[in-house]
Amino acid sequence: MPLLDTRNLTKHFGGLAAVSHVDLTVDEGEIVGLIGPNGAGKTTCFNLLSGFLRPTAGTIVFGGEDITGLRPHRIVGRGLVRTFQLTTLFQDMMALENVLLGMHLHSRRGLPHALFSRRRFPPDEVARGREVLEFTGLGSHADQLARNLPHGHQRVLGIAMALAARPRFLLLDEPVTGMNLEESGRVMALVKTIRDRGTTILLVEHNMRAVMGTCERIVVLNFGQKLSEGTPAEVSTNPRVIEAYLGAGVERA
Amino acid sequence: MPRSARTAAGLIVVLALLLSLPLVGGDYYVYIFALVFINVILSASLRPSLTCGQLNIGHSAFMCIGAYTSALLAKNLGVPFEVSLLCGAVLAAAIGLAIGYPSLRLRGVYFAMVTVAFVEAIRLIASIWVPLTRGNAGLSGVPKPSVLGMTLGTKTSQYYLALFLMLVVLGILYKLEQSRLGLVWKSIGMADNLAQSLGVNIANYKLLAFSLGCFFAGVAGALYAHFIRFLFPPEFGFLLATNILIYNFVGGRGHFAGPIVGAAFLSLLSEPFRGSPYETIFYSIVMLLTILFLPGGLITLPGKLAGLWRSAPSTYAPAGHA
Repeated sequence: MPLLDTRNLTKHFGGLAAVSHVDLTVDEGEIVGLIGPNGAGKTTCFNLLSGFLRPTAGTIVFGGEDITGLRPHRIVGRGLVRTFQLTTLFQDMMALENVLLGMHLHSRRGLPHALFSRRRFPPDEVARGREVLEFTGLGSHADQLARNLPHGHQRVLGIAMALAARPRFLLLDEPVTGMNLEESGRVMALVKTIRDRGTTILLVEHNMRAVMGTCERIVVLNFGQKLSEGTPAEVSTNPRVIEAYLGAGVERA
Repeated sequence: MPRSARTAAGLIVVLALLLSLPLVGGDYYVYIFALVFINVILSASLRPSLTCGQLNIGHSAFMCIGAYTSALLAKNLGVPFEVSLLCGAVLAAAIGLAIGYPSLRLRGVYFAMVTVAFVEAIRLIASIWVPLTRGNAGLSGVPKPSVLGMTLGTKTSQYYLALFLMLVVLGILYKLEQSRLGLVWKSIGMADNLAQSLGVNIANYKLLAFSLGCFFAGVAGALYAHFIRFLFPPEFGFLLATNILIYNFVGGRGHFAGPIVGAAFLSLLSEPFRGSPYETIFYSIVMLLTILFLPGGLITLPGKLAGLWRSAPSTYAPAGHA
């Protein structure tokens, strides 16, 4: 049984079918890429999977359980965690605080704890937060404000926060966009390590080199529909995919 | 001296001054400062909700609920002050929950609209329900506050009661702000979609911040009722609600001390205009000046002055690129 299984997933915005009839399956332990030209419906897909949008039609089954229409925090509680496209961080907080907020569901919290505990965070939670930062290579930036980190580090911090939520399945929205070759190489290596530690990954990315080099399977969307699916080699030689990206004129030219 | 030691020293000095005020000042100052303490409770209790990014323009409604509940229980049923104060606060929080549950799901301006409508509704109920509240004739003869059966008859003893309650409320609110709960509230205000994607049930956390604020506004209302001993519905209207917001913005949103400084500064400075139309004009001018010259609020003023002090000599140094 696949870990994630969508059937006939559809989202209409007024008359526009942003996503239509998408069947998407991801098995436990896979790294799958979701690609497509601008406006193909990739981010809408992510918003549907993470509960930020409610599908017009179709079902989303995660870990054998129907999660269609659940609110975002409920979906995170089941182990499906997402990151955001832009540097969406708690900018005016320290990197460590960002990660500690990522551990929200696994923390001691609530009103009695807030009133009667001496410490803001128990030492074991702080230690785990630092561990996550260390693992993602941000260990030395724990006490810096998120807004003062360089762009690349901010993107990685977004991933670190998602990791702190202990995901079973991680949705990465453009993790290496805007990064140079060296940075993106490091992040894609990190993504592989995360998978090797047991987290399944679905990622949206425009950087083809990164996608082709990392993903085992790729799903191509175009105009909200699934255009093609297969290994990187299969997808990159599929004429329909090339046409979608470069336009129909190329072959005739 | 390290920063924390300086802060502690400053707090001790302020506390010593407040404790000795009745000894040096007359009844007038005791009276004014007790009202300042009530305004500080109101202002600080709005902060959790503001931190979550909720614009509540109806906070005085919950003060009104606390005031009338406590006053009527004490006057009509002879309930002791401690109990009637708690009943007022609990009822304010409960009504806060009932109002907040549906409306906190609305984003941005819609929630603010609900609070505006609510504050007017409460004011009208207090004016129209004459058999209970005596309406716009005002509810007079509210019993003086008492503690453990002893009536606090003098304004000085009531002053100390107000000071004590203010310190307790501020202590609780500060502790909450410094906890993980406070950080979660802050995270919702900064990026609610991100907080959600980390598993935060933002609706519940907003509701908690809002109804806690209502609870403490209820405390302030009960204190006010037994201190002034006369309740008049129009006093709890929209104007007071906006003033509470202005305390927060003028004092500064970025620090726990902001609403406290804002409430103290504005209540003391507007004292000559209290009750006259000039009060509103004064508040508007201070608000405008703050937005223009101190967007971070009054609490950023010392830092700015220190910055000017330090940078002043360098203006006379030869400019490298000139």
